[in-house]
Amino acid sequence: MPRILVVDDEEDVRAALKRRLDREGHQVSAAADSAEARQLIESQSPSFDLVVTDMSMEEADSGLSVLQDALAQDIFTEVIVLTAYGNVANAVESMRRGAFDYLEKNVPGVDVYELLAMKVQQALERRRTAVSTMRRLEHLAGRM
Amino acid sequence: MTAMKIAHPAGTDSSSLLDSVNALLGEAIRSSSDVESVLQGTLEAGVRLVGGNRGFLALVNHESGELQIRCTTGEGWSDETRRMRLHLAHETHRGITGHVALTGEPYVTGDVSSDPYYLRYFDDVVSEIAVPILGPTGQTRGVVNVDSPQPEAFTADHSAALGALTNAAAVALTMEGFRARESALIEIGKSLTNTLEVEAIASKVVQVAATVLQFEDCSVFLVDEQTDHLVLEASCCLFSRRIGSTMYHLGEGLVGWVAQNGEAVRLDEPAKDSRWRSTADVIEDQEVGPFLAVPIVGREKVLGVLRVFRRKTSTPWFNNRFTDTDEKILGTIGSQLGAAIENARSFQRLVRAERMAAWGELSARSAHMIGNRAFALKGDLDEMRFLAEALPSSEQQMEVLALVSSMENGIERLEEILREFRDYVVATQVTVAECDLNALLKETLAETLPKRTKVTLRAEYDGKIPTLRCDSRRLNRAFSELIENAVSFMPEGGELFVGTRLLTSEERAALRLPHARRWVQIEFADQGPGVPEDVKGRIFRPFYTSRVKGMGLGLSIVKGIVEAHEGIIREVGAPGDGARFLIFLPVES
Repeated sequence: MPRILVVDDEEDVRAALKRRLDREGHQVSAAADSAEARQLIESQSPSFDLVVTDMSMEEADSGLSVLQDALAQDIFTEVIVLTAYGNVANAVESMRRGAFDYLEKNVPGVDVYELLAMKVQQALERRRTAVSTMRRLEHLAGRM
Repeated sequence: MTAMKIAHPAGTDSSSLLDSVNALLGEAIRSSSDVESVLQGTLEAGVRLVGGNRGFLALVNHESGELQIRCTTGEGWSDETRRMRLHLAHETHRGITGHVALTGEPYVTGDVSSDPYYLRYFDDVVSEIAVPILGPTGQTRGVVNVDSPQPEAFTADHSAALGALTNAAAVALTMEGFRARESALIEIGKSLTNTLEVEAIASKVVQVAATVLQFEDCSVFLVDEQTDHLVLEASCCLFSRRIGSTMYHLGEGLVGWVAQNGEAVRLDEPAKDSRWRSTADVIEDQEVGPFLAVPIVGREKVLGVLRVFRRKTSTPWFNNRFTDTDEKILGTIGSQLGAAIENARSFQRLVRAERMAAWGELSARSAHMIGNRAFALKGDLDEMRFLAEALPSSEQQMEVLALVSSMENGIERLEEILREFRDYVVATQVTVAECDLNALLKETLAETLPKRTKVTLRAEYDGKIPTLRCDSRRLNRAFSELIENAVSFMPEGGELFVGTRLLTSEERAALRLPHARRWVQIEFADQGPGVPEDVKGRIFRPFYTSRVKGMGLGLSIVKGIVEAHEGIIREVGAPGDGARFLIFLPVES
């Protein structure tokens, strides 16, 4: 069962995200800020498959530090960043630093939870491919 | 009014004359001197020196052309005779005093009964002597007049002695003028450095200038940078009820000429000048006398015009034209005013920027919090929809799903409002970069025009448009708003025209755009109902809307974005014939 960490400073938002991802059949943990997220990321073994984090929490770019912690722990952990409308600069920066994708929370007329569920599937797929490629390479290296 | 004590022996010997002149001049040039006391002293010393029994000193009012009595001495004066003003308007009824004022020459008569000029005010007068007080450029400032009951009482020596005394009075009057100018200029200087509101600065200047230069009207006009109109900012007198209104275009009338050329204009008969434009609703052309207008100069350009004029005098013998000194002083005030206005404007820009930053911060935070709440609610509704699908009865399921849809619609509206609000706040925060306007417009059209629509597009792109410095993301937002508007007002179809054009200098002039730059025009014209005449003035204001969508910030966002690019937007369509929006963006020179 894929293991996902949801990071958001608003309890309602964490609950809504967790409920929907639970429903998709994932095992979901939650953190209320980037410090708690770092603690969970560092203590997790094996590491999270995916982190879904809000961009603007205690700082306007807290999401970037969650992204950094997740990738420092496991280069193959996928990260999806949630942003408020208009915060394109930070979203683009998170992509540049290796996030899988970003999602605007408030686009009128877009079913954002459906979109999130879809992106989560795609991200997990990419992680599986990357991890299995790595395993095969390790296996090859081991035989030599 | 206190007379000075001037000690002198009886008679007209030269030592007592010297003593009197010496005392008067000494008083005249003292910084604490009282001009009234010097004038009174001049008159009393004069009467004593020439042995008269009565006398008066009158000064010329250059605005009205009247001689007004300022001091009297001797017997027989009543308040009524003191108030007497000698009108110099009539050639026949001006008396000896008027005659001396007009000729600037002393006059002596030994028998008033046969004198052609004499007007009788007192019964005992037989001889009379009158001497002019002459100003620095030879113009008459006033007259000293002395009577005697003796025949042939006055000689040429007496007029020479009186002349020496009146020169002392002339010095006092001239010094008084200089001191008034000096303190007025100091006052202007002080208020210019202490005041940070353009309006207050301008009205202070017209008030203070009134004490320096006598005039009928003093007005400050400022150039509106958007339209090149000269708007009346302050006026002390005649024009005060027109404050705030557009008076001239750049280059129009004498004021417009001064603003365009940055040079002063000084004319004795402005209405005869080919550049003159009448303002007969305020003052008739034939009443306008000497005219002086100087540019208000900023660091890089002319900010406006400072104008004064006098009414034509009722007497043709006195001229009240402005002098070289007047022009120099007004020019100095104009430059000081220019510096002060620029100072005030940059302070205001700073305050506005700070306020916008605080407001932007507040809005960004609240928009973020509301957005998060909406996002959580969408999550709850998502779950509700999921649970409803598991309900046993399809009727219950339909009811719950209908409610969910209604709430989802509500949240969608809310998010539209949030988006508009956020766009409004950031409209003026532009980050410019080189941008190809035609490509940007094509891109926006491709994104914004609905795939299936009855609206047809006609586009004309001018290939000669140079690269602009602009924020392409913000302009994209502005253009898409106008395109969406056009489409939404043509539900039954029609043509949307979109065009770009580099304006020629003739077109720029016809559109009255500031001439310092080249301009690109971007046009959006639809065949919808157009903008009714009565709302044309309101459409760019916040919260104006004729649609249910959003909160009515759309066109004010467009205006904010255009103006942040130092551009101009106008709606020029004929009502009933479709809306026609023109955006003008400046091309960097």
